[in-house]
Amino acid sequence: MVRVELFGIPRLEAGTATVEVVASDVGEALRALGAQVPALVPEVISADGELSPHYLVAVDGGQLTRDPARPLRLGEVLVLISAQAGG
Amino acid sequence: MNGAFGRYLRVDLSTGEANTRALGPEIFEALVGGVGLGTAILARETPAGFDPLGPDAALVFAFSPFVGTSITTSAKLAIVGKSPLTQRLSDALSSSDFAIVGKRTGHDAIAIVGHAAAPAVLIVGEKGVELHPCPELWGTDAPIEEVDSELRARFAGHHFATIGPAAEHGVRFACIANGGRHAGRGGLGAIMGRMRLKAIGVRGRERMSIADPDALVSISKDWASRSLGPETAKYRRLGTVANLAAFNRLAALPTRNFTRSTFDAAEALSGETLQTTRAEGRSACRACTIGCEHFFRSRRGKVKLEYENLFALGPLCGIEDPEIALAASHRCDELGLDTISAGGTIAFAMECSERGLLDGTPWARPELRFGAGEVMLAVLDDIARRRPGLGELLADGSRIAADRIGAPAPDFAPHVKGMELPGYSPRALQTMALGLSVSHRGADHNKSGAYEVDFSEHANRFAPDEAAVAGAIASEDRAALLDVLILCKFLRGIFPDVYAETAPALQAITGRSTTKTDLKAVARRVVALRRWFNEREGWTLAEDTLPARFFDEPLEHGAAAGAKLDRDRFTVLRANYHALRELDGDGRLPPDQATALARLVASIGS
Repeated sequence: MVRVELFGIPRLEAGTATVEVVASDVGEALRALGAQVPALVPEVISADGELSPHYLVAVDGGQLTRDPARPLRLGEVLVLISAQAGG
Repeated sequence: MNGAFGRYLRVDLSTGEANTRALGPEIFEALVGGVGLGTAILARETPAGFDPLGPDAALVFAFSPFVGTSITTSAKLAIVGKSPLTQRLSDALSSSDFAIVGKRTGHDAIAIVGHAAAPAVLIVGEKGVELHPCPELWGTDAPIEEVDSELRARFAGHHFATIGPAAEHGVRFACIANGGRHAGRGGLGAIMGRMRLKAIGVRGRERMSIADPDALVSISKDWASRSLGPETAKYRRLGTVANLAAFNRLAALPTRNFTRSTFDAAEALSGETLQTTRAEGRSACRACTIGCEHFFRSRRGKVKLEYENLFALGPLCGIEDPEIALAASHRCDELGLDTISAGGTIAFAMECSERGLLDGTPWARPELRFGAGEVMLAVLDDIARRRPGLGELLADGSRIAADRIGAPAPDFAPHVKGMELPGYSPRALQTMALGLSVSHRGADHNKSGAYEVDFSEHANRFAPDEAAVAGAIASEDRAALLDVLILCKFLRGIFPDVYAETAPALQAITGRSTTKTDLKAVARRVVALRRWFNEREGWTLAEDTLPARFFDEPLEHGAAAGAKLDRDRFTVLRANYHALRELDGDGRLPPDQATALARLVASIGS
C-alpha cells in the first residue's frame, strides 16, 4: 500500500487528508486515487489518470515530480500539492 | 499621450511648493510605469548616497498605464523609496482606490520631497495641492483604519495613503496603508513619518486617453474569464494560507527563527484547518476578479490573513495558537508594521533570549521565548512605539539589532541586505536562496519568484544547477514586467507567455507598437535600473548572500533533513547569475549600460 497525502483543494474535495492506494509507481497511484476519490477528477487528475499541470507530487515530501514512471516502494508516501506556491 | 499624462507632480513639503515635471514618451517606452517609472523618478530627485530618513530623501507614488482601465487586478500603485531598513531600493506595491484616483489627479506619479514643519496631511485634489496641519492625528496611537475613516469623513471623496504609529516612531519596517491594503516591505512608512506626513489624500477626475478601447475591452474580458480558472483556484478557494501545511510537509516552512523548517503544530494553523473551522468569507482588491483575501474568525472579530503573516507570526515565532497569530496579524495592520519583518525580528529576539544573549542588557526580557504568544503581542506594541529597551532595539530590524547585540547574533539574524526573509526556507528551496540573495531589495519573494523553479519538476530543490539559475532570472524578469504594468502576480499563471499576452494590451492602451521582444527588454532594463540605483547607493557584492546559519547548520528534520547551502556552490551559482545577466565579475553593470541608464534618469523633467 502507498499512502497519498492531500493538501489544499484536493484535501477539501476529498474530505480527508490521506488515502491509501495499491500502486507500484506514481502513475498507478494517481489512477487509483482518481478511482477512489472521484471528486478529484478531472480538476486534479484526468479521467486517464494524468496529473493536472496545476499540481505536483513529491515522494516522501522530497523532490517534486510529475513523472508517472517514478517507482514507489512499500511504505513510501506520495504528497500531492498545488504547483502554485506564491504567497 | 495615450496611457499616460506625461508628467509627475513634485511636492516639496519644506516649502509647500508643488509643480509638475515632464515625462517624455521615451520614459514610458523604456520603463512603462510602476516600479520602473518610480525608480527613475526617485533617482532623479535624490543625490547619490542620501539618507532615506534625511532631508534629501524622496518618496514616489507611481502609477501605470493599466491602472484605471478594465484590466483585472490593475488597480495598483508602486511606492518607491530608499529603504531605511536596507539602505537600498524598495519598491512596494499595493492595490486600492488610491491607485485609480491618484492617477485621475492627472499625474503619472507623485513625488514627495522635504520635511513638513509639523505633522500634516497632503491633499492632491481637484482644487490643487494643499498641506493641512494635523497635530490632532499625530501621536495618538490610533489604529490606521480609524485615522483613515477620520480623514475620509473630513475630506469627502478623497482616498488616502496613511501611516500608523510605527511609522511615526521611525520603525524601519513600517508600512504605508491604503484602502485596507499595505505597501509593506522595506519601511517606506518610516520615510513618510520622518517627513511628518501622516497621509496623502487624492481626488481627481482626469481621464487617461486609451488608443483602442474596443481592443482593450476584449482583452479585459478574456483575462477576467481566465482569471477564474484553475491557475488561481487555490487563491480563491483557500487563499495563500494554503501554503503552510504543504510547505511544512516539504520541510520548507521556516520555523523558530529558521532553526527548523517543519512545525509540529502546523496542522492547527494550516489553511485547510482555518478554512473549515474559522472561515468568514473573502474579498478582492479593487478591480480584481480573483479575490484571494480570506477572512477568519477570531475573538477580536474577522481578521484577514495571508500566508506570509501566518508563517511570520506563527511558526517562525513558535506560535501554535491560531488566535495569537490572527491577533498579531491584525495588530500589525493597526500599527502599520510589515508583518514579515515584525515576525522575523521578534523570532530573532526570541532565539537571542533563549540563548542568553540578552541577559544583563537593557534588552533582556526573560519571558521572551519561542511560543510566548502574549509576549509577542506586547513586543509588537513596544516596537511600534520604540519603547526603551527591547522595543527600541527591534524597531531597527534584525540586522541592526544583531550588530548591537554582537557575536554570534549576526550569524542567525534572518535577513538579506537588512530585510527579513519571507516564508520560504532557503535550505529546502535552494534556487530561491539564490533569488533572495541577489534581489535588489533584499530577501523578498515578490521580486524574485525563484521558488517557482524549486516548485517544479525541472529542478533539484536541494542542488540547483545553471538551468535553475536561468529559471530564477526568468522569474525575476517576469516579476519586473508585472510590476511596471502593474498586474497582480497571482495572474501570471493564466499567461502561457506573459510577454506575448501583455504586449497587445499595452499597445491597445498606448497606441504604441509593442512586441513581446519590447517587453522583455523593458523587464531587463528595469532589473538593471534597480541594480544601477543600488550601485549608486553603495551596493557591494558582499551583500548578495544569506546568513551564515544557512551555510553552517544543516536542517535536522523532515524531508529536508541534512540540507544546507554549500558556500562554494553558492558562489558558483551567483557567478552564473551575474554571467547570465551580463554583469561583470563583481556583479556590476557594464559601464555602457550604466551610462545609458544614467542618461535616461537625467532626461526626466528636462
